[in-house]
Amino acid sequence: MLDTLLPILIAAALALAVIGAGRRVRLWRQGRPARVPLLKGLAAMPRRYLVDLHHVVGRDKVMSNTHVATAGGFVAAAALMILVHGLGLAEGVLGWLLLAASATMFVGSCFVARRRRNPPSRLSKGPWMRLPKSLMAFSLSVFAVTLPAVGLLPEDFGGWVVALVLSAVLVWGLGEMFFGMTWGGPMKHAFAGALHLAFHRRAERFGEGNRSTGLKALDLDDPEAPLGVETPSDFTWNQLLGFDACVQCGRCEAMCPAFAAGQPLNPKKLIQDMVVGMAGGSDAAYAGSPYPGQPVGEHQGSAHGPIVAREGKALVDAETLWSCTTCRACVEECPMMIEHVDAIVDMRRFLTLEHGNTPNKGAEVLDNLIATDNPGGFDPGARMHWAADLELPLMADLQQVDVLLWLGDGAYDMRNQRTLRSLVKVLRAADVDFAVLGNEERDSGDVARRLGDEATFQSLAKRNIATLAKYRFQRIVTCDPHSFHVLGNEYGELGGHYEVRHHSTYIAELYEAGRLHFKPWKGGGVTYHDPCYLGRYNGEYEAPRNVLKALGIEVAEMERSGFRSRCCGGGGGAPITDIPGERRIPDMRMKDVGETGAELVAVGCPQCTAMLEGVVDATAEVRDIAELVANALTEAPEASAGAAQQSSNRPQAVEVA
Amino acid sequence: MSDIVRRDPRKEWIARNRLHPQHLEVLAELGQGAASEWMGPAGLIRRNPHAVGFMGPNGLKRIDRSGVQQGAGGGGAAKSAAQSKPLVEIESPAFLVAVVPDMAGGRLTGHDRDLLGLARQLADADPAARGAVLAVVFGEHKEDDFEGAGVDRLLHLTGAEVDGFAPEARLGALVAMDRAWMPRHWLLPDSKLGGADLGRRLAARLGERPATGVWQLEADDEAAMGWRCTARGAAGTVDFQRAMPRLVLALAECAEPVSETRHAAEPLALPEVLPSQLSRIQDLGQVAVDPAGVALSEAEFILSAGNGVRDWDGFHHAAEVLGATEGASRVAVDDGFMARDRQVGATGTWVTARVYVAVGISGAIQHLQGIQTCDKVVAINMDPGCDMIKRADLAVIGDSAKVLEALVALVEQSREEKRNAA
Amino acid sequence: MRPESHHNGSLAVTVLVSVGRHPLTGRGRRADQDARAVELARSLTSAEVELLHAGRLDEGSEAALRGYLGMGFDSLSLLEQPVGADVLPAVAESLEAAGPQLVIAGERAEQGEGSGLLPYLLAERLGWPLVSGLAAVEDVTEGVATLLQALPRGQRRRLQVRLPAIVTVDAAAPAPRQSAYGPARRGRLEVQAAAVMDDADLAQWQAQPARKRPKRLKIVKAASARDRFKAAAAKAEGGGGQVLTDVAPEEGAAAIFKLLKEEGVLR
Repeated sequence: MLDTLLPILIAAALALAVIGAGRRVRLWRQGRPARVPLLKGLAAMPRRYLVDLHHVVGRDKVMSNTHVATAGGFVAAAALMILVHGLGLAEGVLGWLLLAASATMFVGSCFVARRRRNPPSRLSKGPWMRLPKSLMAFSLSVFAVTLPAVGLLPEDFGGWVVALVLSAVLVWGLGEMFFGMTWGGPMKHAFAGALHLAFHRRAERFGEGNRSTGLKALDLDDPEAPLGVETPSDFTWNQLLGFDACVQCGRCEAMCPAFAAGQPLNPKKLIQDMVVGMAGGSDAAYAGSPYPGQPVGEHQGSAHGPIVAREGKALVDAETLWSCTTCRACVEECPMMIEHVDAIVDMRRFLTLEHGNTPNKGAEVLDNLIATDNPGGFDPGARMHWAADLELPLMADLQQVDVLLWLGDGAYDMRNQRTLRSLVKVLRAADVDFAVLGNEERDSGDVARRLGDEATFQSLAKRNIATLAKYRFQRIVTCDPHSFHVLGNEYGELGGHYEVRHHSTYIAELYEAGRLHFKPWKGGGVTYHDPCYLGRYNGEYEAPRNVLKALGIEVAEMERSGFRSRCCGGGGGAPITDIPGERRIPDMRMKDVGETGAELVAVGCPQCTAMLEGVVDATAEVRDIAELVANALTEAPEASAGAAQQSSNRPQAVEVA
Repeated sequence: MSDIVRRDPRKEWIARNRLHPQHLEVLAELGQGAASEWMGPAGLIRRNPHAVGFMGPNGLKRIDRSGVQQGAGGGGAAKSAAQSKPLVEIESPAFLVAVVPDMAGGRLTGHDRDLLGLARQLADADPAARGAVLAVVFGEHKEDDFEGAGVDRLLHLTGAEVDGFAPEARLGALVAMDRAWMPRHWLLPDSKLGGADLGRRLAARLGERPATGVWQLEADDEAAMGWRCTARGAAGTVDFQRAMPRLVLALAECAEPVSETRHAAEPLALPEVLPSQLSRIQDLGQVAVDPAGVALSEAEFILSAGNGVRDWDGFHHAAEVLGATEGASRVAVDDGFMARDRQVGATGTWVTARVYVAVGISGAIQHLQGIQTCDKVVAINMDPGCDMIKRADLAVIGDSAKVLEALVALVEQSREEKRNAA
Repeated sequence: MRPESHHNGSLAVTVLVSVGRHPLTGRGRRADQDARAVELARSLTSAEVELLHAGRLDEGSEAALRGYLGMGFDSLSLLEQPVGADVLPAVAESLEAAGPQLVIAGERAEQGEGSGLLPYLLAERLGWPLVSGLAAVEDVTEGVATLLQALPRGQRRRLQVRLPAIVTVDAAAPAPRQSAYGPARRGRLEVQAAAVMDDADLAQWQAQPARKRPKRLKIVKAASARDRFKAAAAKAEGGGGQVLTDVAPEEGAAAIFKLLKEEGVLR
């Protein structure tokens, strides 16, 4: 009886899956067109899955092995089952292989079940709670129906009762695995995820050591091109596909600083809301952690309806989007390679460019950027006032130098001026041929872009590129990772290609070249805070640590450091939009610092400095790496004194406080 | 009670005489007691040289041995000086300079006095043919020194129709005046809601193109009226040099106020009765504004809370009793005790309050930037070394809750006394 | 009875807007007060708001004018006027033709003479009442508008004015909303030809960047040498204040109370 039933069941499941797939593809295709090399992407997919994706999944060894067993077992079992039971090719080794595959899958599903017994809060519940059972049902029933096929059991073992029960279990398993995969069950992630990897909007991020973190530019010259994303269908189709790939593992939620601070953002929920919007409906069925302070079930949307309502509620509240610090912790953690930050900025673009609704000080900052080229609204002619006594060489005078020192808007900030002075002292001690743009410099456009004002960003960027094109220099050095990122990764699309170094990288190079000499470190314990825009955005984790090592400092690492570093709360315009939460992000970060027992936290970013120094009753002082280096500078030892003297025709290092 | 200070030459003499046995007693009585000397328990005279003298501007201690420092009595001096100023009377003026002072609060403002000083310059320019300064005052006033401010003639118009915000009635009066006496010059203060409004109405009605934002005046024979003026335009970014027109709206400090002469301030009356006109603008009176609802940037008196405040109910109560607008430091806002729109400082609101009371605020640089333009800063803080204390004009070191409580008690007590007295 | 203005749909409001100038960089922008005027008009329920500008259309002014469109307008009427023209006749004729109930304008322009006379001249010419320094329009009923006028230090005065009227706003009016790029880019500038009258006076004046005004010196006119000495040797103001340490709360409170009394902030 099973012989006749099984092919029918399998064929039916496959047919339903194909219909579901068609419907799913139709949902994705509501999105805007995107130029993706389809065949090349499909060809690259296995490698992206096996190498890049498992590189992320492999951070959790148990889950990684569980997934290899379950997913690998399932893929093999499904393929073999079609051959063995669907087409009746039971002879020989195939049946045995099917037994092995389903057994492997069963073992994997046991681990899945174990994890679901006391799931961490970041995991979504709901349908996901039945997944281990479904996996077991599938693997067990396939195993059982294969036993007679390989001859381990007689053909009509157990009679029709057993056959019926087995069929019922198999129907459950097939339903979850094939039907559910394309009709929106938990297994959807396998189908959507595979295609998402193939048609990813940032193909360049795959491959060893590659990263792609710059935001993509809007086409402002085309008056018909939409300014950002208003409705779910305004995303490109492969973005929608990416949202659909989410497995709701909640790793993003666990890493998100805004979620931890109790601000109304949960990256996982946001992605799920986009899925809800794409298909139309309410978020009531969502079974994970909600946005802090916002109950589930109050929001709804549709593919062509607004995501954020001008008044009242739609799919997502504006505060959710403005809570993001663009720290990329979610993107870094996402095993499905979903680009949360792109999506958030796309939606912010619409809010700023079409609604004109940048919250709190956002509008003022953008107006300042338009009118004065700096977010504080200061006189552009006063940009160099802090350095009146330093006699900094200007590009306009020199025309050609090795290093163009990009000061950033920190030039207006009294705290950051100390860092800049230290950096100048270090560059002079190392006898670097450098100059600054002076009053010709403008804001890099980082804040404008993260606040969604692409027009102001492009205006600033184009003028900066025109200014930079007047001069010749080898590289740009800056102590602001935000400028670093924008100049290095985002100006390229607008025609500005530069070699940009963060000052920690450059100082490390200078030290290795023997051009800097340090006194031994005499202070207390030190920890290092990785700025998001230096670390996750640009992969620079080593150079700052090397500099600290060269200073004789042994870094007491925080639990969350390196690629898992927790944001200071200062990125993405978050201090400007200032969405209230239950806690402040910098307070949490300073607590991380306190747990290491360090008396000093070294940073490499003006935003981080400002945010961490704003913490009341902090246990550690905040110093920029440049300040630590400048304080440790000493004369070259005797042996190399001659070399130092040769080049003493330029001004000596100026003593700065 | 009479405010005439009665001098007691004997006491003043004792106050000056440090060796007089009643010296300290008299000093205390006169309220000038800088106790630099006192009788010790052993009967010896003890001296505290540090209590003598005052700090000069260069940081050196100066000692004024004239005795005034300790026993400065001379209360009647100011009055007598006012009376000793020469009285200037202009019997038959060659022309009139009409001035319409704002009289904010019923008194001549500093701006009004500057304007009267400017009017005197115009009136007295030609000693052969001197003009008279004619001030027009609307509504009841409390000013008693029109003479000292340089007013020769005073037109005082009262009545319900010119009270409150009555630009149309006042304009009618000015037009009638213009017709009756044809003043050679019209001067009004270019001040918000005062002369700026009325002056422009008058200009539009008379068809005169006025000079607005005038801050400088100099004689110029080539100009039609004999004067040139410098006027601010384009939102204060451009100076226009132009011949002075008949109607001038001048900024504060456009001239030195009159200080050395007294004038007649002779009352005048309009020759004709003002035609009553139907006003299209009706003043419904001032609206009671809850101090707590006043925008921080506009508030006059701010009670601001910081990290050091523990008793929040007490703080809110104090703000209510004092009638102060509430402000807060960033920390107090971040901690959720105050709303974000109450944050003072470079990252919040830049405030312009006349009195800023900082309770438990240590004074981060951003906060101090935000209160730069406050006139008087009072700090209540536990930490005597914090930056807010350095900025403050008056600092009280102590438990803020108790100080506020005592302050509330004082204010309530004084209100009670006032009510009983009234 | 329903308000009259509601019978024929809505209240016709015209906002006069000008090209502003940023005080630090001199770049063209929405003039701050005019933008507040637009915001005030936007906040009126059932108002049909028109924007009107008189001036020249060039690259600099277009960006600034589009700033107003970015506050959510489809179009802006532009009366073409050369630089240095007196825009009064053109604006007055346009208003007479359009016949709005309420005209809102900023108090003063940020460029040109900036005398703030235009609203007054318009009111005189049209014979309409004018109210300056508005903070809010509370209500418009049966051709009478109830207004809140801003007084110094956050105080307010309630006025009623018979429409049609001209009102002006300054910095006390609600802050303007953000100008959004999308609507600003899409909006139309409807250029209309208009009568031109040269401003002959303005051409005769010499304009130069504003000089810093000299700080007024404190001249002490004292009768005696001792008074002059005292004035010269007096403590410079603000050089560190009085600090009361180790005092009872009552004493501290008394000192504060005295200061508050002196400053007259206690009511």
